[in-house]
Amino acid sequence: MATAAVRLQRRTVGIRRALAPIAEARGMARTMLWTGVGMTLVFVLLAIFAPLLSPYGFDQYTSGGHRFAQLAHPSHAHLFGTTVQSTDVLSRIVWGAQTELEVVGLALAFGLVVGVPLGLIAGYFGGPFDRGTVLFMDAMFAFPPLLLAIVIAFLLGGSVNSGVLVAAIAITITYIPQYFRVVRNHVISVREEPYVEAARALGAKPFTILRRYVFFNVVQNVPVIATLNAADAVLTLTALGFLGYGVQPTQGAEWGYDVSRAVSDAASGIWWTGLFPGLAIVLLVTGLTLLGEGLNETINPVLRRRSIRQVDFAAPSMDAGAELLEA
Amino acid sequence: MHLRPRLRYLVVLGLAGLVLAAVGVTAAQSKPLAANHSTASTILDGTTDTVTNVDPAGNYDYGSGTVDILIYQHLLDLNAGSTIPAPSLATGCKANASVTVWTCTLRKGVKFSNGDPFTSTDVKWSFDRVNKIHDPSGIWGLISNLKSVTTSGPYSVSFHLSTAQSTWPYILATGAGEIVDHKVYPATKLVANTDVKDLVGTGPYTLSKFTPGQQAVFAPNPNYAGENGKLANGGLIITYYSKSSTMKLDLQKGTIDMAFRDFTPTEYTALGKTSGVTLYKGKGVGIRYLVLNVKRAPTNKLAVRKAIAYLFPRQDIATRVYHGQVQPLYSMPPAGLPGHTNAFGELYGMAPNAAKAKAVLAAGHIKTPVPLTVWWTPSHYGDASADEYTEIQRSLNASGLFKVTLKSAEWATYSKTLGTQYGAFQLGWFPDYPDAEDYITPFYGTKSNFTSNGYSNAKMDAIIKNEEGAKTLAQRLTYIKQAQVIAAQDAPIIPYWQNSMLVVGRSNIHNMKKTIDLDYLMRFWLLSKS
Amino acid sequence: MNQGSSLKRYAITRLALVVPMVFILLTLVFLLMRVAPGNPVSASLGGHAPPAVIKEISHQLGYDKPVYVQYGHYLGQIIRGNFGTTISDRRSVGSIILVNGAATLELTFFAMIVAVFVGMLIGLLSGRYRDSPLDTGGRLFGIVVYATPVFFLGLLAQLIFGVWLGWLPISDQASPITQALLQTHTNIFFLDAIIDGNWSALWDITQHLILPATTLGIVYGGVFIRLIRVNVIRTMKEDYIEAARARGIKERSVVYHHAFRNALVPVITVVGLQLALLLGGAILTETTFNWPGLGHELYIYLQNRDYAAVQGIVVVFALVVVAASIVIDFANAFIDPRVRY
Repeated sequence: MATAAVRLQRRTVGIRRALAPIAEARGMARTMLWTGVGMTLVFVLLAIFAPLLSPYGFDQYTSGGHRFAQLAHPSHAHLFGTTVQSTDVLSRIVWGAQTELEVVGLALAFGLVVGVPLGLIAGYFGGPFDRGTVLFMDAMFAFPPLLLAIVIAFLLGGSVNSGVLVAAIAITITYIPQYFRVVRNHVISVREEPYVEAARALGAKPFTILRRYVFFNVVQNVPVIATLNAADAVLTLTALGFLGYGVQPTQGAEWGYDVSRAVSDAASGIWWTGLFPGLAIVLLVTGLTLLGEGLNETINPVLRRRSIRQVDFAAPSMDAGAELLEA
Repeated sequence: MHLRPRLRYLVVLGLAGLVLAAVGVTAAQSKPLAANHSTASTILDGTTDTVTNVDPAGNYDYGSGTVDILIYQHLLDLNAGSTIPAPSLATGCKANASVTVWTCTLRKGVKFSNGDPFTSTDVKWSFDRVNKIHDPSGIWGLISNLKSVTTSGPYSVSFHLSTAQSTWPYILATGAGEIVDHKVYPATKLVANTDVKDLVGTGPYTLSKFTPGQQAVFAPNPNYAGENGKLANGGLIITYYSKSSTMKLDLQKGTIDMAFRDFTPTEYTALGKTSGVTLYKGKGVGIRYLVLNVKRAPTNKLAVRKAIAYLFPRQDIATRVYHGQVQPLYSMPPAGLPGHTNAFGELYGMAPNAAKAKAVLAAGHIKTPVPLTVWWTPSHYGDASADEYTEIQRSLNASGLFKVTLKSAEWATYSKTLGTQYGAFQLGWFPDYPDAEDYITPFYGTKSNFTSNGYSNAKMDAIIKNEEGAKTLAQRLTYIKQAQVIAAQDAPIIPYWQNSMLVVGRSNIHNMKKTIDLDYLMRFWLLSKS
Repeated sequence: MNQGSSLKRYAITRLALVVPMVFILLTLVFLLMRVAPGNPVSASLGGHAPPAVIKEISHQLGYDKPVYVQYGHYLGQIIRGNFGTTISDRRSVGSIILVNGAATLELTFFAMIVAVFVGMLIGLLSGRYRDSPLDTGGRLFGIVVYATPVFFLGLLAQLIFGVWLGWLPISDQASPITQALLQTHTNIFFLDAIIDGNWSALWDITQHLILPATTLGIVYGGVFIRLIRVNVIRTMKEDYIEAARARGIKERSVVYHHAFRNALVPVITVVGLQLALLLGGAILTETTFNWPGLGHELYIYLQNRDYAAVQGIVVVFALVVVAASIVIDFANAFIDPRVRY
């Protein structure tokens, strides 16, 4: 009769196996991973707790009945100074974190929901659907990505009310070809594996095979790609904001838009309106990249390093041959 | 550790560093390119405007217009310091009794820059081709009242109009009236921008080189007779910038000597305080206004429109957003033009009045706060539009009478929609000619309304008709004043600021003040450089 | 099946796919532009002319015809090789590609040199001395620099080197007078100055290239650092490296002659692809430095809904990308028989 603990162990075997590399990570990979997690977590917390953490609203220009000064230097009242609209820069950074993560989260979700299944089906079944989709995706690759995002933003801006949604969809569409291509290529290499063939020989239906074997194998790649794409997506979002598309300034704070307004300030000696949003972008993207790189180093077998346990050859014993794994 | 591979890279790095240092040192000392005599007096200007077509039959935008006044002339020109068209290529123009035919006597002995003589054939040719080419830029709309052009001898030309128009001389001074050489310009096609040898005119300069989107290079026209002022410099190069901040940095560095159009308010303020640089300011004729849709709720109710008029924060916008670079405007025709009255000020007060707004809404049985969506566009009218509309939203909301939601759309989408979907929206206007008439007809005439806001008032239409047919200036001004009163009473549009003509020049540019006036024309030929 | 015909078959298949790919892109661009609200006429005259005039001009240009009719007309023009002239300023798409494409090429080329140089230098060292402080520093540099938006980095570069230190020019390809006097041959300023032997102009042009090329190059250098480093690590694990060491070859020689060279091979693929992407995507750098490149032009025409311009430029651009990817795929197929269809 299995105890509760053993039953729990059995049920979580899959997850633990998946997460094992992370626990075994050492050295640079581990540092990167956890630094990345830390930095990203800071922004996630800022985003979630924005109403509590932010001193003012993102478009708040008065407090206690009196207006904030315009383009004021960083001071006690406004740690990062104020903007040309008399709003607080620090508050806009905090609320901006919410905007960025909202958009990027949505974009990732949409991208995965659309790109991964497409890649799976196209890769596994092949045939005309595969060829057609590959052709279409290749054509989209040839379109400059930022411009594609801008055109989508035009298209949707009129009909969709939420700037966050517009930006998310625009970014999704530029990244779907990437998800699709990576997943499809991986599926193609996996479907020739002996165990998949064995499953086919056993009479398993295609969708069963996809679900139980291919999907889990392929999905290992996804966190790394997703995180690195998240980093890229933030850059695309801020580029859209810089050019004036996506999230409109009246709908929420967006770091890229703030930098675009700050450009004329910077040329006039006012540095705080641009430096802080710019640094925020750099830090968030760095955090996400470190997270992605760290994951890559831990999961990707080519780069993976496990800890080396020193073996003492002088005293032979039964446990000596235990683990001698070298990267 | 193996030193050698590292050493190699260190050596490469070191060399790279030396190269950079050499660049830095020599860059700091490098002189500008061989300054021979003519380039030393070439004025270097920067602008964020763009040029579509240089050929006058093919453009209807300010940037192209700036280039055109440098290489072409009109029969009548708006010369420095005056808003009345003065003789230029024509020695005089007279109307017949019914003001439907204008006859101009042409100046003798004028030559194009390629030596071709200027005669009435060129005049007829220039106007005819504007209509024949019928360019998508819409410039032919300015001469829509022209039925035909006839010549009688080489120095007399007559314009036959469909309806009487006493402001026809102003039309002659617009871009549609620029005179081109009939021997060079095709009758049904535009001359390409890069065919600079064929862009022949009688103006102070010739266009010697044109690189689209980058620069336009002008050399003096030896055949220019000086009707619009003597040429005081040896040439001009206009550099086109996509961002005003880059232009500002270049101005500070001395890469360009002056800049006209357009900086952000913050940049103008900073430039005004920079040493070595002067900010020249004069009255302007560009205006900004809020259009209210009289067919859509809630602005279809007059009470709502009046309340907005009572609350409008003109002074706040002028000081907070534009740092005094614009002036509050109380009527569509701006101050400085004959016929301007502070119609909105007289009816609604010069400052916002929340009490009266509340009263008018109560009298109209309108529930407050009134939900109102106001639209604006982010870059077409400058980045400060965002701040402008935030200010409007704040004031209207602060009164407790309105709940304003701001929405924006990029220009191509915005300009297509306007009154067909927007209830309240931002627009700006720059006149075709500096006369109050050009601020009334495009906005209040039922058929001629540019804003699609559904405004139609028979009384206003009658006044406009009378004004267009009036024979003297005094008569016209009476009608214009009447029109402004009705415009304020009906308030389908709320004007709120007029701009200033702002030019920034380094201390080596002189005579700038000569060209700053209500004509809003940059007469580069009058400037000199030391 | 011998090697020759398999390669030939691959080549034919690959080339045959170009046509449908370009066709899809054409249609995609066309649909996107037509469906997007606004048209070139309203963009230039909206709020500035009576609706009747706008309607008349739209009719004159055929924008009120049904979409499929306009599509047919558009395809007809393309097949005849007429990529059209822009609506707003009457430039032929061909001249836009020549003039602005040359500017972009100039910028991209020098940016790539910077990127590859930075990437190689730091990437090779990082990979070789894995986990050392050099590696950590190099990787961090690559990550942070890629994370910096290019418009931010560009602005900083302009302020620091252009204004405060005053060392370098901050905009355009050359100073106004140099540009005015320069003779046009290839439209690539750098080459034009060399062709004329105009050394002072060449110096001026080089100075103008430094900030934009370095800014753009460093950002992409970050990508190369990561790529080269991973390749070096992977290569260093290969059996033949181990074998070389076992044969007693000096470590330095092992690293140089074997590891580094093989690690750099895939880089060529990436350089090719990045180059193609950069050609259209350098909008932000070009806007910041007032560089008259293709990306910036495309962006302006897009804002003005200049259908002809956008369609024409995107198609030509797509052809360039497709050509580049074909060349690369072909090179890969030539080297690696497994890649063929």
